[in-house]
Amino acid sequence: MAQQQGIIVLVDIANALRSRTLTGNVYLFDNMKFLGSTGQGTPDLVTICPGTYWSDGSQATEQVLNWLPASLGSIPPTVPRSYHADRAQATDQEALEEIAGVADRAGDPSVDTAAELEGLRRRVGARARRQRGGRAPAAPKVLDVTGNVVTGEGQAYNHPNPVITDITGPAVEEKIMYPAQYGSPDMVSDGWYWAASVDTSRPGTYRYTMHIQLHELVWRNGEPAWEPVDYTCDSAIKVISDPKRNAFTGAGLGVLPIP
Amino acid sequence: MPSKAKPPESRPVTITAVIDPVAALASGALEGNLFLYDTNKAEGSAGFGGTDLRTRVRSGDRIIWNVVVLECETYAALDEIVIDEKVCTPERKVYPNTDIAYWTATVKRHVTEPVPYRLKFRLGTVTEPYAVSSPALVGQAGAGKEQR
Repeated sequence: MAQQQGIIVLVDIANALRSRTLTGNVYLFDNMKFLGSTGQGTPDLVTICPGTYWSDGSQATEQVLNWLPASLGSIPPTVPRSYHADRAQATDQEALEEIAGVADRAGDPSVDTAAELEGLRRRVGARARRQRGGRAPAAPKVLDVTGNVVTGEGQAYNHPNPVITDITGPAVEEKIMYPAQYGSPDMVSDGWYWAASVDTSRPGTYRYTMHIQLHELVWRNGEPAWEPVDYTCDSAIKVISDPKRNAFTGAGLGVLPIP
Repeated sequence: MPSKAKPPESRPVTITAVIDPVAALASGALEGNLFLYDTNKAEGSAGFGGTDLRTRVRSGDRIIWNVVVLECETYAALDEIVIDEKVCTPERKVYPNTDIAYWTATVKRHVTEPVPYRLKFRLGTVTEPYAVSSPALVGQAGAGKEQR
């Protein structure tokens, strides 16, 4: 089985949209620090890709990279994947149930029905249109960073996860890595993720560019809409000729050492 | 002419602890395996990516602390925040309809000197918390000069 490497792309979306660039607003992590990756938690991650053989000299499989984008300051990725849809449904349901109460009280002259309806409107929250060309699973109902509905302009909202739309650059052009988007039953990545196989026979440091789409909530005439905004950011892989090794045993494939 | 007056910025300051729970459990320490960030870089927060984050806050700011794990199969959660109660009183809450927790607090007063605080995490099945005391809340540069 290929050794799988994960690269986490953490984006400060609010600041990136404010400064109209990803530069300085992306923090990168991978799970190969023990093999020599550098720059964990900074924009300058260099992901190590060890060589094509195991430490016992046998031929290893290719290196596989996987990219996982995440949003800083949003509802964390540990909530259930259907969280946005569930909250949208739950808040709609609560408001629907209250309509009955408002209708019952409407005959009472001491009740301000208009104010009650306005309250209901706030409970339902705002729904944003989706622009054509946007690729994020941006939910129509706008939530804030604590999972409650957003009712109007000027309120802080939860950004949809960043989406990788392409991976290009020298590492791809020089045929060191072969990135592609894959469909997956793994719901952590909304069913889609970017992965690449790396040719580990040519040692060297190779840069690559991630094309990342963010979504900005734009209000026009009181109507919100998710607008896609495309940026790029760079990172690098470093292919080395050291053997791959198992993180538990420090050795290659084969029998486990007896303690 | 359109008014320049914007509605009050209600975006809370989120402090996110990115944690590598497997490496922290293996080495028995958070140092090198905990990366702190916040969303207030534009206001002058500093120390991103380490354990000595300096979060720039104003009186009245709402702060949210949450956790992002690099390894989703291992449990990691923020267990407690110890900070001077005169500055803020962090409270544990959950995202509605989940058991995923975050901590939140409102900055009660103008911060002049840095206010260090202690973050305690629970990792895996270890009962003793893992803690750091190096992050801090800091006030505006040039104390006394109120920016309005």
